[in-house]
Amino acid sequence: MTRWLGVVAMLGVLAGLVMAFLVAPREMTQGNVQRIMYVHVPAVWVAYLAFLVVLLGSVAYLWSRAPAADRTAHAAAEVGVVFLGVNIATGAIWGKPTWGTWWTWDARLTSVAVVFVIFIGYLLVRQMTDDPERGARFAAVVGIVGALNIPLVHFSVYWWRTLHQPPTFAKPGPAAASSAIGAALLVNFVGLLLLCAYFIAKRYDLLRAQQEATA
Amino acid sequence: MTFVRRAWAVVWKDVLAERRSKETVNAVLFFSVLLLFVFEFTLGADRDRLASVLPGLLWLGVLLAALLGLGRSFVLERENECWEALLLTPGDKSAVYVGKLAGNLLLMALVEAVVLTLFTLFMNVDVGRALPGLLLVLALGTLGIAAVGTLFGAMTAHVRARELLFPVLLLPVLVPVLLAIVKSTEALLAGEPLGVVSHWLKLLVAADVIYVVVGLLTFDVLLEG
Amino acid sequence: MTSDHWGFVAAAYAVAVLALGGYWRRLVHLERTLKTPTLRRRRSAGR
Repeated sequence: MTRWLGVVAMLGVLAGLVMAFLVAPREMTQGNVQRIMYVHVPAVWVAYLAFLVVLLGSVAYLWSRAPAADRTAHAAAEVGVVFLGVNIATGAIWGKPTWGTWWTWDARLTSVAVVFVIFIGYLLVRQMTDDPERGARFAAVVGIVGALNIPLVHFSVYWWRTLHQPPTFAKPGPAAASSAIGAALLVNFVGLLLLCAYFIAKRYDLLRAQQEATA
Repeated sequence: MTFVRRAWAVVWKDVLAERRSKETVNAVLFFSVLLLFVFEFTLGADRDRLASVLPGLLWLGVLLAALLGLGRSFVLERENECWEALLLTPGDKSAVYVGKLAGNLLLMALVEAVVLTLFTLFMNVDVGRALPGLLLVLALGTLGIAAVGTLFGAMTAHVRARELLFPVLLLPVLVPVLLAIVKSTEALLAGEPLGVVSHWLKLLVAADVIYVVVGLLTFDVLLEG
Repeated sequence: MTSDHWGFVAAAYAVAVLALGGYWRRLVHLERTLKTPTLRRRRSAGR
């Protein structure tokens, strides 16, 4: 089951690469460097969906104390952090030629970085707790607070950056996207979403196997 | 009524213990005075330059003092082996959360009063006209910081490297609250009316509601230890 | 005409492949250590 999901995800990612490099046209203003967007933008969407899974899994775990819910949240948090890391790294690489700097305290970069740190904290809590059951409870609370905090982080950072100085930089993402660019983004999103689902499923299986081995 | 009484019992216990031991308050207040020296030494005594970063410094002082104070709140319960007693509280455990939160709010209010007074005296800030608005921002921001701080404090009391993990968990979650209070303090000290920062106040209220509700609902899970 | 910066595009996709592929390899590695009977026996014996 998980294996087949992996095969489908591989096909999805390959389709995304074909769309990104062969189908999508060269972007008018930015040139070919814009092709980074096809991995950069879907990665953050996928990561935020994974954090939504963390929220649901954490609430379900505190509600039912079912280990399955905790494993889902744990796996989703780990995979979400990986995808958010990809988003930040590719964003920096895109920013260097476009903005002339690897990092700027732009609203979106900053809010993504804050969310990244919050969920690293989620993983740290588990690591720092000796009793896994206790770690699951603690992590669930951090996961709920962290996920509900995402909209607050987003708005506050956006106001912080834009209230006194309107954004003059080019924004990442398809500002005036042609339909081929939009389609390429969508295909890459589906491909990365499948990959994310595969990772979560595989991590879930491993967590169960680990728990059974130590039980 | 019983909920309020049970919460009050926790507050009163903390106040009493603090009045007799004078452990936390004295140290935290002294620490905030020391911070003033550190700011002055590291940033130089240049009045004009200090004025531009003052709102940030003010809140940095409050935040660092809060990190110390809030972190201790539940560590004390463990050191004194009172955790089981908290667990034995009859009925809804969220009363314990409310009580602990109220105690932490008291501590932070004390620290803020001292920090604000010191800043007006030593750094020549004119708070006069901005004071009512500033107090509102202060109250909303403090509630947000204390709500998450109380929740995470109960958690990290049971975790390895707790002095490290507490700020590591708390600081990123508090980014929205921090931005809101620093930006509104900046605007208010510059003489702008409260209406200019209304969006920040709304954000603070939303954050307070979310944090307190999550705290009330999840606290019994943490109290299990 | 803006320049294309193909080097940056290659670097970005390389980083993505390294991160995602690296995570996948970690999962596969973990799976192998969990499933190998000799390793598990050694682990339980060590307890």
